[in-house]
Amino acid sequence: MTTLLKLSRAALVLGALMVEACSFDIANPNTPAVIGENPNRSQVAAAASGLLIATRSDLADFVRNVGILGREAYRFDGSDPRFTGQLMQGPLNPGDLPFGGNHWVEEYAAIRSGNDLLRVVGTAEALTAEEQSAVIGYVHTIQAYNFMLVLSSHTQDSIPIEVGTDVTAPPAPFRSQADAYAHVEALLDGAVTELQAGGAAFPFSLPAGFNGFNTPGTFIQFNRALRAREAVYRNDFAGALTFLAASFYNPAASFDLGVYMDFSAGPGDVANPLAIDPQTGENFGHPSLEAQAQLQPDGSLDRRFLTKLVKRAPRSAGNPQQLSSDLGWIRYPSPNSPIPLIRNEELILLHAEASIGVNDLATATTDINLVRATAGGLDPVGTFATPEAALDELLYNKRYSLMYEGGHSWIDYRHYGRLAELATAERAGPPPDVIFTTLPIPTAEVQAHQ
Amino acid sequence: MTQRVSGLIVALLLLVSQAGAAQVRQISGRITNAQTDQGLAEATIAVGGTQIVAQAGNDGRFTMNVPDGDATLTIRSIGFKRRQVSVPATQETVDVALEPDVFKLEEIVITGQSTGQQQQNLPNAVATVDAGELTRAPTQTLETALQGKIPGALIQANNGAPGGGIQLSLRGVSTIVGSVDPLFVVDGIVVSNVAIPNGANAVSCAQCGGNPRNQDNPVNRTADLNPEDIERIEVLKGGSAAAIYGSKATNGVVIITTKRGRVGSPTFNFSQRFGVTKRANELGSRTFESLAEALTFSRDTALVTSLFQPGRSFDAEKEVFGHSPFSYETNANVSGGTENTKYYVSALVKDDGGIATNTGYKKQSLRSNIDQELGGGFQLAVNLNGVHSLSSRGLTNNDNSGTSPFLVFPFTPSFLDLLPASGASRDSLLPSDFPVNPFERSNPLQTFEFLKNDEDVWRLLGTSTLRWAAVRSARSTLQLTGIGGVDYFSQDNNLVSPPELQYEPNDGQPGTVVLSKSSNRNLNLALNAVHTFIPGNPEHGSQWTTSAGVQFEERRLAFTQVLGRTLLTGQESPQQAASQTVTSRVEPVRDLGLFGQEELLLADRRLLLTAGLRADRSSANGNPEKFFFYPKLAASYRFLRPIGGLDEFKLRGAYGQTGNRALFGSIYQTDTSSTIGGVSGTYIGTQAGDPNIEPERQEEFETGFDAVFASGRAQLSLSVYQRNIKNLLLQQTIAPSTGQQLRVFSSESQMRNRGVEASLTLSPIQSKSVNWVFRTTFFANRSKITRLTVPTFQTGGFGLSLGTFQIEEGASATQIFGSVGTDANGNAIAGKVGDVTPDFQMSFSSDIDVRRFTLGFLFDWKQGGDIINLTEFLYDAGQTSRDFVGAGQARAARNAAGFTDVYVQDGSYLKLREVNLSYNVPDRITSSLFGRSIRTARLSLTGRNLLRFTGYRGLDPEVSNFGNQAIVRNVDVAPFPPSRSFFFSIDLGL
Repeated sequence: MTTLLKLSRAALVLGALMVEACSFDIANPNTPAVIGENPNRSQVAAAASGLLIATRSDLADFVRNVGILGREAYRFDGSDPRFTGQLMQGPLNPGDLPFGGNHWVEEYAAIRSGNDLLRVVGTAEALTAEEQSAVIGYVHTIQAYNFMLVLSSHTQDSIPIEVGTDVTAPPAPFRSQADAYAHVEALLDGAVTELQAGGAAFPFSLPAGFNGFNTPGTFIQFNRALRAREAVYRNDFAGALTFLAASFYNPAASFDLGVYMDFSAGPGDVANPLAIDPQTGENFGHPSLEAQAQLQPDGSLDRRFLTKLVKRAPRSAGNPQQLSSDLGWIRYPSPNSPIPLIRNEELILLHAEASIGVNDLATATTDINLVRATAGGLDPVGTFATPEAALDELLYNKRYSLMYEGGHSWIDYRHYGRLAELATAERAGPPPDVIFTTLPIPTAEVQAHQ
Repeated sequence: MTQRVSGLIVALLLLVSQAGAAQVRQISGRITNAQTDQGLAEATIAVGGTQIVAQAGNDGRFTMNVPDGDATLTIRSIGFKRRQVSVPATQETVDVALEPDVFKLEEIVITGQSTGQQQQNLPNAVATVDAGELTRAPTQTLETALQGKIPGALIQANNGAPGGGIQLSLRGVSTIVGSVDPLFVVDGIVVSNVAIPNGANAVSCAQCGGNPRNQDNPVNRTADLNPEDIERIEVLKGGSAAAIYGSKATNGVVIITTKRGRVGSPTFNFSQRFGVTKRANELGSRTFESLAEALTFSRDTALVTSLFQPGRSFDAEKEVFGHSPFSYETNANVSGGTENTKYYVSALVKDDGGIATNTGYKKQSLRSNIDQELGGGFQLAVNLNGVHSLSSRGLTNNDNSGTSPFLVFPFTPSFLDLLPASGASRDSLLPSDFPVNPFERSNPLQTFEFLKNDEDVWRLLGTSTLRWAAVRSARSTLQLTGIGGVDYFSQDNNLVSPPELQYEPNDGQPGTVVLSKSSNRNLNLALNAVHTFIPGNPEHGSQWTTSAGVQFEERRLAFTQVLGRTLLTGQESPQQAASQTVTSRVEPVRDLGLFGQEELLLADRRLLLTAGLRADRSSANGNPEKFFFYPKLAASYRFLRPIGGLDEFKLRGAYGQTGNRALFGSIYQTDTSSTIGGVSGTYIGTQAGDPNIEPERQEEFETGFDAVFASGRAQLSLSVYQRNIKNLLLQQTIAPSTGQQLRVFSSESQMRNRGVEASLTLSPIQSKSVNWVFRTTFFANRSKITRLTVPTFQTGGFGLSLGTFQIEEGASATQIFGSVGTDANGNAIAGKVGDVTPDFQMSFSSDIDVRRFTLGFLFDWKQGGDIINLTEFLYDAGQTSRDFVGAGQARAARNAAGFTDVYVQDGSYLKLREVNLSYNVPDRITSSLFGRSIRTARLSLTGRNLLRFTGYRGLDPEVSNFGNQAIVRNVDVAPFPPSRSFFFSIDLGL
């Protein structure tokens, strides 16, 4: 037996050598860890840029899918009939994340990414107190923007707001729409205070889409623009006018002045998914955009239609979805085209909308005529006699000025209870087309709360 | 214990005459097959009471020296029953005829890392498949050659694409999100069966719809092994048999032993096969009878009117997938050796055409297995296997870009002509020769003509095994084995989609190239010791087998992919692309295992008792320092002639535990990163890891019996098992408001599988001229989630309305959920609409030898098991299903009304997997043609998957859009169609 003992001892020694030879504790070789305590400047900068990248994740989908809900666009995708079925006829499936369950997951991922940064920014010794404030103001603003996307697409009182960073904790409770908007307001208003204490520069660089708004001081104008949009959605029209004044609202400036989300075909970046070939791609303009376009003095269609859409060979989605369109989008001509988050043209229209809200129809007329002339090439309209008439014209102009930029038609027509006006060129069914007023809360969110 | 270190391991003509003074005499004779009278080349003749062993030559003849006096010879040959004969002192010649061991009762089956037991004593239902059964009909990949041969296994192709992509699952579902592959062990080393995506997603955009699972139709790399090299395969199906393989063995262990040389002059075997492959099924498309009917297809009246001609239709499906290519396969091997050196060297060249344009599979393999006696009880075995394969698999499965043919056909009416301009020659076609498809984004004829999707794999398997018979006495042996082995492969995927293809400009970046380079290294080091102790009679006395060892394994998968978009005409390099995206990933894992096992054969070797323990640690666990223990216990007892008519009856029972680990990366809590405007940023990843993750633990109990009856002409085996899987790894969908969608973690959840396996083998006729063996197997398994510590959740598929899988306590693990109507608010109501698990599986196979003819066949029957047929959904949505008018409309209407069940369909099938008719050419013909140089000559006609009977309406009931999956199988989205093949073979032995 001694040989056996000797040999088993040798085996154990060999085994021990094997263990010593290499570690069994292998760090993740592929992706970075979540930002930790006392981050350095580059980690803070990466997290700040990451917040924008996370925010960008759903942007193009939001523009397209909410555009379909608001009858700005069609998508005839043979591989996926849900674009013309589920989104236009229903039933909206809350378990179907790219469709009924959409515009929730990525927004909360961005909010969470912001929380991960907020959790540790106070411990960053590499940052001055001013810089820490600037980061907090920036993060709160971008988080508020994401909450607004969720609120725009979900009008039930089921919005979690106290979201943290621990996935094993119980899910954040559902709050009412009013509570959630109050939270957005608090985030935006608190961010102004932080940004004002944020010094002259952010401790990170912002991409080109934020040019003109990339210091704490100028970023406040972006923050106030969002706050004005939020106030209009909440019918706080007087407040909206105040916030616009602190924003970059400027009737004299370019309508395109504003904040954009960058896309790029460059290495490691994301090309604008809406920049597909207008003649052969799957995305189509809604026929009503042509049918309802007002005429310029020379008889041509509203210039906003002409600059954003182009005629193409007609295509239809297969039966029973006999929808058809001969309009292709040229709103985003290149994979590098940015998508606006908010820009001056919208601010002027928000100014008009708020003016209608406070019954200042003369100012509303001025604003709207500016947009009609500058963007649409249209003749001015006379001063509105009634708020209803003003609203008619305002909604038309918001639809054409902001088409394919963020689901504005759906949000604005719904705001005034006028979604039915968008129901044109629809199928008789079966099943008949439906314009939904909200997306359902995703199944995963509902189940986690049960 | 005497420490007489002596002698060599048996199996060659060997004389160890330690007492040189003894007188010797010579015995000669011939060992034959009792049924055919043919000599048995591999028979060994051992002299009782000595260590003298001889091996018969090619014709079965032997000559050996034995001590003077009466001798008792024990004659063995693989596949035959052992026989003992007494040779009186005066007798100098002896001829022995051996009976075939039809039921393999005496076959040695692996029961540990380096120990084995005779089948007749085994405590588990271990399935074995030997070379003859493996190569009844030519196969592209090993797994297809196992279909229908292993009770307890469900072996299904993911679709019909050439070159593999096949899932082998044993005894039902054993995990939800852990590894699904069995452990593949070739000649003692763990080899890789990883499936690496080929990058087709860049064109198909299948994951653009938000589905996280890859749908590239990847090949799992077991496809590289050459079935012709395999001597035998043993399949340990679960915890009770495989516990000694520890934390990687829950899905079973497939132990592959390759062929080795035997003493004798060189033996050449050569086989040449010629074949043709045809598609086995087509979907067809609706025929439009009139212009009025055609106009219901599209609102574009002018277009339809210009295209439609009454009575004219086109079959684009046939143009792409209707080819009948030729295939050939050449196999050659030579083996032989001397007492000190033995060799087996083989070569394979294979070229299988694919039924789709520009698809196919080519494989070349070289193997050298060398055994060398080193003296002093040392023996070295070196195996080297180099394989090259090249597969071209086209573009199939789900997409979101209108490029996968079965996603284009449904939206393209049959009155549209997609053929290239009639003047164009096939050899000089240009993309512009193909008409534009005005109804969809691509013309599949154009796509398959010009798209390149090649997978080029080079693989090297090298194993060195050093054995040392450290102790070798009459009563006791100790063998030490050191194994070092490397399995390395590099897989290059090259996908080129030229900018001229119709769909290419759609994303604004015409032209796509994906260049992927992957490499995988499995490094194995092991040291085993086996001690056997036979205190009494060497033939019948009790036997104690003690084994222990240590194993180290390191795996490292590295993956790099460069995706280029916007190409110039004719450019295929990603460097020339206007935009490039690089993806890279490495997956290193290190494991260490220790094991010990004791096997006791008692009571005249009719009682077997086994106990073993394995301890494993791994870098894949949350705590890499912690050892996890996996015990096993087993017993069997053989009753000889317990009642009349029953020849032998064995009762057996086994219990064991194994582990299954999380997929790589599950322990990490990570961010993800990307770039915006040239600045990179990090943000939260979609999946939360679990830093405390542990392996799943399977506890399996198996019991059953094996009976031999009807005078040795029938054998019945029946096994029942129950396996409980604890610490289930879960990938839970969490509240998205946490910022993440999924969380992988070890839970207290549990799953149970219960099943029954049976096999009946009959050999009704055993005579000199006719030999008939008939086998049938039965298998049924039911799974149940017995405890779920998280709320019921859905996973996989394409959402509730198109069928998904619901994990729910108390329910089958593989149940399919769908919408079963809508509530008052128009929301879908979820309900069970099917289950992937088959009701049962059976197989029937038969081999009949009549004189020089052999007829063999194998039927594989799967009853039940539902499939989510989204291909039909697409055809119905596109109003082009062959039966659209009426039936298709009704299906589409029911689905639109909120019912998923119309597209969840029964996937039962009966397939004639293999059929073979062969003829052994008589010597007089071969010798008149070739002289005496030809030893054997055989002509064969073989077929694979020649017949299918199924009510399933899709292309094939073997389908999985998501590749190999634990739960999310049987989702049919635009798969590659199935094929069947015929071969004519010539086999020559020289």
